[in-house]
Amino acid sequence: MVEFMNQALELAKEALTAKEVPVGCVFTVDGTIVAKSRNCVNLTRNPTRHAELNCIDQVIEHCKTNNIDHLSYFKKVCVYVTVEPCIMCAAALNNLNVLEVVYGCANDRFGGKTVLDVSNFYENSYILTGNLMADEAMSLLKQFYKGTNPNAPESKAKKKKEM
Amino acid sequence: MFEEPATKKAKLDPTTMTEKDIISDYINKIKNSKSNLQAVLSDELSHTIETTKVYIASIKDKRNISKAIQVLNEKLPLNELSHLKRVRKNTILLCQSSTVNTSTIEEYIDSKLPELKDVFELFSEIDVPSQAPKLKRQYTEAMKMWSCNFHPDIYLEKLSGDHFFPEDELNLHRTFMAIAFEAAGWYLKSTVKEITGDLLQAVNSSVVVDPSINSVVAVSFDNRLRHPVQHTAMMAIDDVARTQDGGAWTRKTTCNDSELSGIDMDLLEHLRIKFPDTKFGAKKFTSKEENIENGEKENTGPYLCTNYYIYLLKEPCFMCSMALIHARVKRVFFCFENSEFGALKSKAKLHTVQSLNHHYEVFTGFL
Ligand SMILES: [Zn+2]
Ligand SMILES: [Zn+2]
Repeated sequence: MVEFMNQALELAKEALTAKEVPVGCVFTVDGTIVAKSRNCVNLTRNPTRHAELNCIDQVIEHCKTNNIDHLSYFKKVCVYVTVEPCIMCAAALNNLNVLEVVYGCANDRFGGKTVLDVSNFYENSYILTGNLMADEAMSLLKQFYKGTNPNAPESKAKKKKEM
Repeated sequence: MFEEPATKKAKLDPTTMTEKDIISDYINKIKNSKSNLQAVLSDELSHTIETTKVYIASIKDKRNISKAIQVLNEKLPLNELSHLKRVRKNTILLCQSSTVNTSTIEEYIDSKLPELKDVFELFSEIDVPSQAPKLKRQYTEAMKMWSCNFHPDIYLEKLSGDHFFPEDELNLHRTFMAIAFEAAGWYLKSTVKEITGDLLQAVNSSVVVDPSINSVVAVSFDNRLRHPVQHTAMMAIDDVARTQDGGAWTRKTTCNDSELSGIDMDLLEHLRIKFPDTKFGAKKFTSKEENIENGEKENTGPYLCTNYYIYLLKEPCFMCSMALIHARVKRVFFCFENSEFGALKSKAKLHTVQSLNHHYEVFTGFL
C-alpha cells in the first residue's frame, strides 16, 4: 500500500512542477499497477481532468486494446490517490464499481465523503480508507496554494482555489 | 419544424413512434408549453418552515415590559433565535424550551431571573420558526406562530415565483432545449434504426450556450455505453475546453475554427438548417498570457464554462453535476428528472450545498 501511495505522491510532485494542483493517482489490479496519472486541468483547460479520471481513461484504453470487458475489469481495481476523491470522481468510481479506494489527505473543499457522502446514493460502494501518508499529500497542496492558480482570472485566483 | 400541428401528438404511442416522431413531438410540446420554468430551490426555501419549541408568558403589569425585556436579553439571549421578536402584545418570549433544566419554566425563571419574580403569569409552550423566513410566503407562515424579523430578497422572491423568465427569454430557453432534443435524435439515428421512447429516456444530450451573445458553444451527446465516464455533461465540458484551445478527448469530426470546435461539423450543418435563426460558436478565446501581452489586466475572454448555461435532456447524475460545479456553469436547465441518480432535484440538490465554492441555478419544467 505504502509503495503505491509513494508512486501516487511522485505523480503529485510532477503535477506541482507542471503548476497543476498536486494530486496523483495509481490504479492497481491484483497488486500490479495498471494506470497512473495526475491532475492536468490547466493543460487541457478542462476542470474535470482529475488524476482519477485520467486513470479511468487509461484503463478503458487498455481494455479496448486487449479486448477486455472494461465493466468487469473495473471491479478488480484498487485506487490509490493522494487526496480524497472529489464528489465527481467518487461518483465516477462508484459508477464503475471499483473494489477499493485508498487516499492520503481529506478534501474539505470537494470531498466525495467529507463534503457529501456519495456512497449513500449507491447500493454497493467501494471500501474507502483515508489517512495514508496524509502529511506528505497535504504539504504538496500547501506548496501549491502558496502560489496562485496560473490560469484563473486575476480577480478570482486568490479566493478560489482549484482542486 | 416547430410549426407542426399539435394534434399530431394525440395519436402517438411512445412504443411505436419512430425517433423523428418522438423528437418532434417533444419539441412541439416544449415550444407550445404555457408554463414558465421553475427554479429548483434549496429545501430551506421549498419546504415548510421548521419549528422549535419556546416558553412564553404574559406580563401582569404592562409597566414592567421594558425592564423584563432588558433582563431577558441580558441573561437569556435568544442567540440562534434572534430573528424572533421578544414581545408580541402583552406576551413575552422567555427562552428556548431546550435550555430549561428545571422541572418547570416557573422554577427556571425564578432561579435564573430572581429580579423578575412574580412579573409573569400564564406560562405556556409554543412552536416558533427555528430559522429566519427568507420568502414572503414563509414570513406569513412564521407570523402565525410568532412575530419575527424579515428582510425580503427581491431576487429570491422572483426566483421562487411562477413568472421568473419573461416570455421572449423563455422562447430562447425552449429553443436551446429543442436543440438538445434535435441533437439526441441526430446521434441516435446514426447508431440505431428504430428508436423508442424508452431509448430516448436512457440517453442524454446537452447544449452549452453563452447567454451574453445567445450563441450555442457546444452540443454533446452521451457516449457512456462505450466509455462509462463520457456522459453528455462530461463531453460538453470537454467540448467547451476545445473552444478554448484545450480538450482531452478526441472527436470524429471537429472544426479547425476553434470557435466552432465544440460542435460536430456534420451536426452543425444539420442544426443550421433546422434552426436558421440560432447563432453557433463561442466568443474568441484568448489565454491569460495573450491578455497580458495585449496589456489587459483581467482575463476578459471565456474561462471554463463561467457564465455559460447548459441545457440537458435529463437531470445530470452526481458525477456530471459536480463536474458542472468544477466548470463554474451559471445555470443548468433540464427536461426529464433522473429518479435513480439525479443530483439536482431527485436524489440531492448539489447546487444548494453551502460549503461548495461555486453555485449554479437549476431550472426545469419544460413540458
Ligand atoms: Zn475529482
Ligand atoms: Zn452523468
